[in-house]
Amino acid sequence: MSGPKCMRGGAGAPRVAPIVLLGAAAFVALAPEAAWAQEAVRPYGDFPVIGARGAIWISAQVHLMFAAFVLGVPMFAVVVEAIGIFGGDKRYDKLAREFTRLLLIAYSATAIWGAILTFALSSLYPRFWSYLTVIFGPSMWLYAGLFIVESFTLYLYYYGWDRWSEDRAKLGHLGLGVLLNIWGTIVMFIANGWLTYMMSPPADVTADTAPETVQLWSALFNATWMPINIHRLIANVVFGGAIVGMYAAYRFLAASTDEERAHYDWMGYVGNFIAIGALIVLPFAGYYLGREIYEFNQTMGITMMGGFMSWLWIIQAFLIGVLFLAGNYYLWTGMGRIPGAERFTPYVKWMLLVLVVGVIVWSTPHTMIASREEIVAMGGTHHPFLGVLGVMSAKNTAVNLMILTTFLSFLLYRRANKEPVVPWAKTGTLVQGIALGLSAAVVMFYGVYGYFVTAIIRIGFSVYQVLAVLAAMVFVILIDIAIMRGATSRGAIQWGRMPARSQYALFILGVTFTWLMGLMGFARSGIRQHWHVYEVIRDTSPQAATPALGPAATMISVCVLIFLGLVAVIFWLGGLVEKPAHRRADGLVVPSAAAEPAGSGS
Amino acid sequence: MWRTNLKVAFVVLGTLAVYTVVANAIPQIESDVPTELTLRADVTAEELVAAGEQIYTGAGGCMVCHGLGTRAPDVLRVAGRVCAERKPELECKAYLYESLTDPGAYVVEGFQPIMPDMRRTLSNQQIWATVAFLESQGGEVTVTAEDIGAGEEGGTVDSGGGTVAPAAASEFAFATEASDPVGLLQEAACTACHVLDGAGGPIGPAFDSMGDLERDYIRRSILNPAADTARGYEALAGTMPVTFGDQFSAAQLEAIVQFLADRP
Repeated sequence: MSGPKCMRGGAGAPRVAPIVLLGAAAFVALAPEAAWAQEAVRPYGDFPVIGARGAIWISAQVHLMFAAFVLGVPMFAVVVEAIGIFGGDKRYDKLAREFTRLLLIAYSATAIWGAILTFALSSLYPRFWSYLTVIFGPSMWLYAGLFIVESFTLYLYYYGWDRWSEDRAKLGHLGLGVLLNIWGTIVMFIANGWLTYMMSPPADVTADTAPETVQLWSALFNATWMPINIHRLIANVVFGGAIVGMYAAYRFLAASTDEERAHYDWMGYVGNFIAIGALIVLPFAGYYLGREIYEFNQTMGITMMGGFMSWLWIIQAFLIGVLFLAGNYYLWTGMGRIPGAERFTPYVKWMLLVLVVGVIVWSTPHTMIASREEIVAMGGTHHPFLGVLGVMSAKNTAVNLMILTTFLSFLLYRRANKEPVVPWAKTGTLVQGIALGLSAAVVMFYGVYGYFVTAIIRIGFSVYQVLAVLAAMVFVILIDIAIMRGATSRGAIQWGRMPARSQYALFILGVTFTWLMGLMGFARSGIRQHWHVYEVIRDTSPQAATPALGPAATMISVCVLIFLGLVAVIFWLGGLVEKPAHRRADGLVVPSAAAEPAGSGS
Repeated sequence: MWRTNLKVAFVVLGTLAVYTVVANAIPQIESDVPTELTLRADVTAEELVAAGEQIYTGAGGCMVCHGLGTRAPDVLRVAGRVCAERKPELECKAYLYESLTDPGAYVVEGFQPIMPDMRRTLSNQQIWATVAFLESQGGEVTVTAEDIGAGEEGGTVDSGGGTVAPAAASEFAFATEASDPVGLLQEAACTACHVLDGAGGPIGPAFDSMGDLERDYIRRSILNPAADTARGYEALAGTMPVTFGDQFSAAQLEAIVQFLADRP
């Protein structure tokens, strides 16, 4: 792709981002600090049809989805660029550039929705907004400033791709990508401080505490801040990979040449690899977050896991089951285009069995809030049979085995067309098998043992299970790298020779990840129940009650539809950049050459 | 191309529809907001029980733990019967009220002290209504308007005005003199969790081995238990009540800090 063509692509639209952000920041500055203390300031505004909460919900959720995308994609774009530089393969450089191109307009959308959220908060929840600005005002300015710096770093990174494409200049360009990630991470950490303060304010902040007396650092560095930071960092990579996978799937289905199809097949594979690879790590960050929530406030933790939100986790298990199944299905289908992969086909049905049983166990309800009549009918709040399957011992065992199975799928995919040449290959493979088997045995041992100990001890077992799985994965992949050194090929991967149905699996993955993000956002926010700031500032608006899962799900679907609709427009705009129409002297409009296929270089 | 677009739209919308329908098909539970409760001076036992049941099953969030058999004792159908047996020196309603407002004072054997102080989320009238409901579970309701202060001006009523005021320090202050730190520790039921002179619970670090700790550390641990977690007690972090700073006077607090720091 030529430089000037790129310049035409994003110019104008992305520069909206800093301007919008400045406007929103100015709005923050206008928020009167003393307003918090003034009874004259109305506590709540109204919004037509969907109400104030609905307006905040949609604007916050859509903003967060775009934000997750623009924070997640640069992380792996820069890694892919580094692979291209140090591996000497130009295809990776082109792919990294394509990832980055998707960011440009998405940045503007992030800023616009951030501004909408700011305006919605200040007009619909003015008194609470004043409270937040009194505590967090300086950090809001820092946030706005860093967002602008981040935006300009992105422009430099993208528009400088051709200029700084060789030797040391290329390394400098890579450095810009790293900087982009650093700014983005700091921006996210700051915003996380605001929302986690609402969830877990410092213990010395009470309803009587004047916001002027709350120390900014103490408010930011609250109990759930770092767990959320880590969880979101990983989740953003998962989300970014999934959206890129969707984009590639669409381009694959719409491709008119084999080369184009091959390129987008590869891009879809990379997107899916990133999404599923990071997803495997995500539950561990989730455990950490859940543990910190419990440590901050037992009631909040129990409300989250066993209270009115207990059914939410069943839905979550269902969704993650879909992710595991769709992700593995995509891999197994992809093995059809790899010569030599057929020798692993017999294992697929067993892996499918483990996944299906795992999903069933993980989706089994256990601790649910029930009416008195229901409790009496069941003889307790636990179902006599399902209650046994639904405990965390069984669920942790199921999910860890599903992770191991998915890891095995990746391993087989990776080895599909390779023939090791090292003399100890068979022994190494045997050791790998033993390591995976031992890991599964440890997981199952603690799963069963968990039934015979008290809850407080059982909670600790999940750590052993997680460590066993992580250790096995690291150990096995290290051996695999050594075994495959100098391996011969059974034949090149035939990129592009994928059935169309595999691409729809990528769509299901992308939609599911997006919906799951909305669901988890509801969980995190909903456990505050009728509090703006937990046990400090009560929500006294007419919509203070936290909705049941059904209405929440409908709202999540609306948010996902808005987001995906806008993403489709962004991708369409991106397509226009690639295929500008040329008007000939005779007035006829003809399309330019299609996008350069994979491997064509710049 | 349009065919592909339609297929993509079908997959996307179909996936969304499945998730939305499944989430709407399962039991729907909304998290209620505690409602204003104003009890008249002539409130009847039946009215108290009805109000208490609403709190128990709704805003109080009691059913999150009670009745599950693993987290907290089952109270339905039995609370009114067993309440008098827990602490013989207290009558049933006094014991139940204490359980809600000072849950660390008595922890039923076999359970962890995870019950929160309900004064942070419920008004005094709501707490008494809950006590009445619990008494009705297998026992006789003895709560009266006189216990609650119902109808009295200035009674503790959840105004719904945006915040729940924490209990006034004087209302829940400890009476023991600052010159008697051991008495203070006992009155505050600290020995339910901490071992003092060989007796007490194992939930928190033993008082008997605190002599090597700095006074600032001890003071901070009482005022802000979340600030530090003693090694070996990580799993029980968060169980120490955060209300002692409001309940001890400055002199009482310093007497306790001095006493603990001087332990051998």
